Amino acid sequence: MTKAVVVCPGRGTYNKTELGYLERHFPDAALLEAFDAHRRAAGQPLLSELDGARRFSVAEHTRGDNASALIFASTLGDFLSIDRAGIDIVAVTGNSMGWYSALACAGALQPQDGFRVANTMGTLMQRSLVGGQLIYPFVGDDWRAQPDRRSELLAIVDDIAGRGGHELYLSIDLGGMLVLAGNESGLAAFENRVEPLQQRFPMRLANHAAFHTPLMTPVAEEGRRILPADLFRGPDLPLIDGRGAIWWPGATDAEALCAYTLGTQVVETYDFTKAITVAAREFAPDLFIVTGPGTTLGGAVAQSLILAEWRAMTGKEDFKAQQDRHPVLASMGMPDQRSAVERR
Amino acid sequence: MDRAAIVHENFLRRVAEGDFPKGRAPGGPLSPSEAVSIYRSGCLTRALDRTSRAMQAAGQGFYTIGSSGHEGMAAIAAALRPTDMAFLHYRDAAFQIQRAAQVPGQSIAWDMLLSFACSSDDPISGGRHKVLGSKALNIPPQTSTIASHLPKAVGAAYSVGLAKRHPPEHKALPDDAIVMCSFGDASANHSTAQGAFNAAQWTAYQSVPMPLLFVCEDNGIGISTKTPDGWIAATFANRPGLRYFDCDGLDIYDTYRASKEAADFVRRRRKPAFLHVRTIRLYGHAGADMPTSYMAREEIEKEEANDPLLHSVRLLSEAGALTPGEALAIYRETEQRVDRIAAQAVTRPRLKTAAEVMAHLVPPPRPSRATNGPTAEARAQAFGSDLKAIASPQIMSRLINWALTDLMLAHGEVVLMGEDVGRKGGVYGVTQKLVTRFGRSRVIDTLLDEQAILGLGIGMAHNGFLPMPEIQFLAYLHNAEDQLRGEAATLPFFSKGQFTNPMVVRIAGLGYQKGFGGHFHNDNSVAVLRDIPGLILACPSNGADAAKMLRECVRLAREEQRLVVFLEPIALYPMRDLHEVGDGGWMMHYPDPSERIPFGQVGRHGEGRDLAILTFANGTYLSRQAQKRLAEDGIDARVIDLRWLSPLPEEAIVEALDGCRNVLVVDETRRTGGVAEALMALLTERTGVPHARLTAEDSFIATGPAYGATMPSADDIVVAARELVRGG
Repeated sequence: MTKAVVVCPGRGTYNKTELGYLERHFPDAALLEAFDAHRRAAGQPLLSELDGARRFSVAEHTRGDNASALIFASTLGDFLSIDRAGIDIVAVTGNSMGWYSALACAGALQPQDGFRVANTMGTLMQRSLVGGQLIYPFVGDDWRAQPDRRSELLAIVDDIAGRGGHELYLSIDLGGMLVLAGNESGLAAFENRVEPLQQRFPMRLANHAAFHTPLMTPVAEEGRRILPADLFRGPDLPLIDGRGAIWWPGATDAEALCAYTLGTQVVETYDFTKAITVAAREFAPDLFIVTGPGTTLGGAVAQSLILAEWRAMTGKEDFKAQQDRHPVLASMGMPDQRSAVERR
Repeated sequence: MDRAAIVHENFLRRVAEGDFPKGRAPGGPLSPSEAVSIYRSGCLTRALDRTSRAMQAAGQGFYTIGSSGHEGMAAIAAALRPTDMAFLHYRDAAFQIQRAAQVPGQSIAWDMLLSFACSSDDPISGGRHKVLGSKALNIPPQTSTIASHLPKAVGAAYSVGLAKRHPPEHKALPDDAIVMCSFGDASANHSTAQGAFNAAQWTAYQSVPMPLLFVCEDNGIGISTKTPDGWIAATFANRPGLRYFDCDGLDIYDTYRASKEAADFVRRRRKPAFLHVRTIRLYGHAGADMPTSYMAREEIEKEEANDPLLHSVRLLSEAGALTPGEALAIYRETEQRVDRIAAQAVTRPRLKTAAEVMAHLVPPPRPSRATNGPTAEARAQAFGSDLKAIASPQIMSRLINWALTDLMLAHGEVVLMGEDVGRKGGVYGVTQKLVTRFGRSRVIDTLLDEQAILGLGIGMAHNGFLPMPEIQFLAYLHNAEDQLRGEAATLPFFSKGQFTNPMVVRIAGLGYQKGFGGHFHNDNSVAVLRDIPGLILACPSNGADAAKMLRECVRLAREEQRLVVFLEPIALYPMRDLHEVGDGGWMMHYPDPSERIPFGQVGRHGEGRDLAILTFANGTYLSRQAQKRLAEDGIDARVIDLRWLSPLPEEAIVEALDGCRNVLVVDETRRTGGVAEALMALLTERTGVPHARLTAEDSFIATGPAYGATMPSADDIVVAARELVRGG
């Protein structure tokens, strides 16, 4: 039986090509209806409407209060679609808001509670919309580790953050990329300071706030006020968080899990690279399954594995060779890879 | 079938059948989730033990001393904080595994398997040695084979209180930390362990803070020798200054309760406690050990029937934390998981070359705050009336005293410790007035135990202090030298330089005290210090050099984290004259505090080419006398003072010999194993210059008139020099 770690994507993964994703893939109509009932009660556009819209609207679909719900539902739907008869899921992790999805996949939140948490936090983020995020790579096209380059960039971040009025933090360690977050002056200073790459980077992330930084403190406080701690319980599957900590079935203090989810991870750097490293080293899966929506997180997973020298991979070529020989990564957002892991 | 397989099969069968060993009901403060966490750590410990044996059988693993039977140690880790420094027994995998669960981002199974595989990726030792240890988890690596880690645990515990009052720049432990050290029932009998218990008790008895938790894992046997029934309780339950706690190590609830109580006692009262954990040893001592060769099968089976994991499954079930079925699933999943991880871990690289093995013998440099030294006012206050005397030449002991004063003024983290260093100011007055200048907390009068003195220094260095322990006489080092050899010097090696214990050990030694003391006060053997990798041995011959070299030694320790021994020739402490009475030729001015003699720089007196006398310490003094007489005799000699005895400054020596036609080695240490052996080899290998040696005899030093009879004299040097230069 294939041993797999499931990886849940974060914001920015439900885009134009994902329109209709729920309709195409979500396996449990009643559950989707329950999510929509929640949205309806909150006076928010329904998932079925958003997902079924004829046209993708950046303004509409990427808003935190909509995107979080769409991504959570797509992820959970994909997780529920995995062929559990042939695939033994040994751990679950996620990136950024994918943590909320991971909680639900692992059973630490019931699906509807998970939806409530993701939707609420997404809504609060959208309401406050403090600061923003940008993304910038520290590895080249070959994805080989460049620790010095990474240190250099972080030194620039520290330098900028030391200036009056400039807020800039490492928001997410995302494989070979750094996601930075801060206020406008902090982000702009970084953009002015570094060399543009691949005609895209540094790339601002539309409708994103300064996630995983102290600027989110009011959001975390509000989340804790609105969301009851008793939504949380111990997971059924091992869960790896954004520090690389493992929450084990039976051995999890639900209060601590709540405190981490609605506190620590909201305001501190999310170390996705570490989460993947720990997943590899402590669970040694045959396969990493990145659920949908989207296909962008696979690169960060591969880069994280390369940085950890997992299966002796030290660059993109090694990863490709490994994928050809014996795939270590399956993205459910890609039809061919999806078919390899989906329940028939 | 081997015992590991039998225990494994028994576990599977008995859990499936609900056949559990009897024991008390679960009780105490352990929560269900924490209890399961501890059980998980136990399962991982067990799986790693079994896998280590499989790896060895496959030629992929190199370490099989297991922790099976000692899984209860996980409950102790759960009762402590990850910031409580832990010096662990080699059977404490469960402790480290549980502590890893307290610190986010750990990959403990992977890390342990890398260490079994001796992979260079092993995050603690880099594949050099199988040790438990982790920088992130505050577990300095130990081999802990003979409880030699206990004295430093005492030192580390002592440092916590001092660091609260005088925080050193590189302080590592929080003010409310406690220190934990663990060991087996057999090694509790070791004199080193007994010295550590005694030192902790002696300290606590006088109400000095000593937040130290001793954990004795009593499995009733040391390899094949049984601990007498009840011995540990009998000998530890009623010691002054040491509170005794005990628990059943097979019962995670009881162990957690007792650990919590003991840790709370130590943390609140800042006093030492002794936690006696009764446990069992499964599968014998190590992979190659067959317990059936010295124990009856029935006895072994009786122990195995008490498998702590079986007790845990029963307890968790009774507590409603986990059903036996769930517990069994965790056990099986953990086994499978470890197998998968091991398959990857064995593919990781291993050390190959000598250079790779040796990469961390020398620790990395440590950025330290720059200092301009003390203000004139601070110096004036500290030196007091001595300040006037600074203008005139002084004897060596006084110059060392002043150098120590300046160093302690400049660096608040410098702490002295030793027998009589405080109130008395040292047997030879070298540390006089320092206790008045810097207080009893920085100039510590210790108990009479060299292992405790060095352990105090090593442990304090773990918390950012720069200790300068004093060993009163070189002969007294020998009962304690393993603290330098096996502990202090190996720490960077075992930890890839992540842990260090920089310090400068001052030792008064060597011969020539006129008729006083004999062997124990005039020991002239340094062999035991010269073959310790990474250790620097410095030995001055005069007061000015001593001051400048001591400053360099402190710099080496402070900035380069080096382990340094500063050997002070006792006979030269009070030496005033060189050639004749009243000439004051061996008294020197106190060098400006900015002056240092760089590590590896030799001293050179004279430019003679007929002969170079290669020597150190008293030999330098005597050779300078001989040099004058030889000159009168028409032999133009130079005297080269080695200053640094280990590692030998080979390049500087060869350079200093430039143009010399003969070399005479004058060595006051013994002919066998003495410094001259290395120098003769160097001269043979690196120069074509004719050379000879004059050394001490292979003898101990006598008391009375024959005190110098076995060592080179100025007359001997003159004779040997003539023979060498003129061919006899």
